[in-house]
Amino acid sequence: MSSEPALWRRAGVDLRLLLMCGLLVVMGVVFHALSGGVFLSPENLYNLAQQTAVVGIVSTVMVLVIVARHIDLSVGSVMGFVGVLIAYLMYTSGWTWPAACLAGLAVALVVSMYQGWLTAVLGVPSFVVTLGGLMSFRGAAFLVADGKTQPVNDEFFQRLGGGYDGGIGVAATWALTALVIAALFARMLQKRRGRQRHDMPTDPLWVDVLITVVPAVALVAFAWAMNHYQISSKTEAQGIPIPVLIWAVVAVVLSFLVHRTRFGRYVFAMGGNPDAAALVGIPVKRVTLMLFALLAVLVTVAAIVSIARLNAGTNSLGTGMELYVIAAAVIGGTALAGGSGSIFGSVLGALIMQSLDSGMLLLDVAIGKRMVIIGQVLIVAVVFDVLYRRRFGEK
Amino acid sequence: MATAAAAQPLVELRDIRKAFGGIHAVDGVSINLYAGEVVALLGHNGAGKSTLMKMLAGAYAVDSGDTLVGGAKVHIRTPAEAQALGIETIYQTLALADNLDAVSNLFLGREKLTRWRTLDDHFMEGQARKVFQRLNKNFTNIREPVRRLSGGQRQVVAISRALYFNARILIMDEPCAALGPEETAMVGGLVRQLKADGVGIFLITHDMPDVFALSDRLAVMKNGKLVGTYRTADVTEDEVLGMIIAGKRPEATAQAERAASSKTSAVMQRIP
Repeated sequence: MSSEPALWRRAGVDLRLLLMCGLLVVMGVVFHALSGGVFLSPENLYNLAQQTAVVGIVSTVMVLVIVARHIDLSVGSVMGFVGVLIAYLMYTSGWTWPAACLAGLAVALVVSMYQGWLTAVLGVPSFVVTLGGLMSFRGAAFLVADGKTQPVNDEFFQRLGGGYDGGIGVAATWALTALVIAALFARMLQKRRGRQRHDMPTDPLWVDVLITVVPAVALVAFAWAMNHYQISSKTEAQGIPIPVLIWAVVAVVLSFLVHRTRFGRYVFAMGGNPDAAALVGIPVKRVTLMLFALLAVLVTVAAIVSIARLNAGTNSLGTGMELYVIAAAVIGGTALAGGSGSIFGSVLGALIMQSLDSGMLLLDVAIGKRMVIIGQVLIVAVVFDVLYRRRFGEK
Repeated sequence: MATAAAAQPLVELRDIRKAFGGIHAVDGVSINLYAGEVVALLGHNGAGKSTLMKMLAGAYAVDSGDTLVGGAKVHIRTPAEAQALGIETIYQTLALADNLDAVSNLFLGREKLTRWRTLDDHFMEGQARKVFQRLNKNFTNIREPVRRLSGGQRQVVAISRALYFNARILIMDEPCAALGPEETAMVGGLVRQLKADGVGIFLITHDMPDVFALSDRLAVMKNGKLVGTYRTADVTEDEVLGMIIAGKRPEATAQAERAASSKTSAVMQRIP
């Protein structure tokens, strides 16, 4: 390796995320061996990726909420409420799916603005506001359709949840993969050029190439697996499931917000030092409200994917999901004290949790034991986080 | 140098009041500041100096009283509005976001954007390098979160904020409290340089050597009220301490609404 000790850090590589990727690989191999070659099969990977998407989508924005020193315990209930509402509008009221989804988004925004206003403007702790929301909106989910399940029949809409026709197909998968890899390399080159133009030091070319090649290889492997899962009654393989695609787009957009926009920087500044954020003139209240609005958008997206996947909206949709969402963010290295966390970390966190759950399911581990183990894994993740921060001199 | 230009004060605070739940933190204080002048603001902890300055910086709202900047009446409601008037503040706590790097902190709240409304990181890093270099040649780890920096480096970041955005009016709250001798000397040099550039500086400090080395005038506050404002050259350290501790004005010395320019102050006698 290089003689420069902090090379990986200078190159923008987060050691913690690297370790998590390693952990995910190890888990995959171990479960694969123990399950007799089932875990890493295309079919299992397809289902795993698709099952993780709903929690993953909400986790990305939960990272930002926690970074800004807030929490939202009501995401599961609000998702249930909005999901049932969209299904109700389509099934009982006969709306088209775009109209129903927009109505769902509007309601989610109203809910979020109400909770955000209490938190940002009145200064009520978000824990309390959303704890109330956790109960209220679960009740609201019941009230929408009087507790009756609302089937979702629109075929196009169902594809948004993955399932039978929910993959984008082989050709589109390869095309998309090629496109993303090209974009990764283009971004790397553009970054190098930008730094050189401003007379700033660049990392050695092999470092940048390595940092770009590794995710590219992982992407090709994933695309290959998705293109080798074929449902027996169909003539073509599935390709990347649409919910995973939605999740990926959400993660990329949020990463962009975090790294390239004022909004993202302000969220982190507010989490790092709320007093300083106010003193330097950051409009703290407005940024908090924007954050809650973003949350509403992504909860709606998750609700749409979720009812499309289940082919129905039920009043129990998303029950207990807030815990998985927060756990994924925390396992992904988001500090509950605020100020630090990453979107990509939450993606890994969600994958680790779902892999663990589904791997143990394959091994016929009983539900009780699974819950005990996942709970303890969450604690291990936090302990690791605390030790890591102590080691590297973060608060 | 600032003889003609200083006819009009840069900042006039008139009868400023601020109460927190019945406690009068600032009670009818009037004070002014001229271009190229350093006014030291003294008093016990809780005397109201920081509160007064926070109102000028837009962090607190004024209950009553007038604020004039460059002769024009202004209402400063937010830190951003203060910054727009050229008022920069270096807080005792430094007001840094510890999880962000030095570059982000320098531009925090005033990021340079590209055409696409995204952060122009290359531009900001390049500019930051130049400003930090001016203050500390050895400051290169500007992409580390500032919590990993030394006290002096953190101070450099906070000061750079005022420097880069061309403060006209600078509020420094205990700028040397956490600094070693070398860095204190650096801050002193900087104050003199800014002063020569015509910046008006409010300096909150407890350190008497700083007061006498750097300030042209000093204002003492006690229990939210102004005890008095004097030319620094006209009073002794004992008299200043007497004002801070007992609120006792020195009898023989006249108060000074403004400092005479540095050349003439030696010649000019106290205005009765």
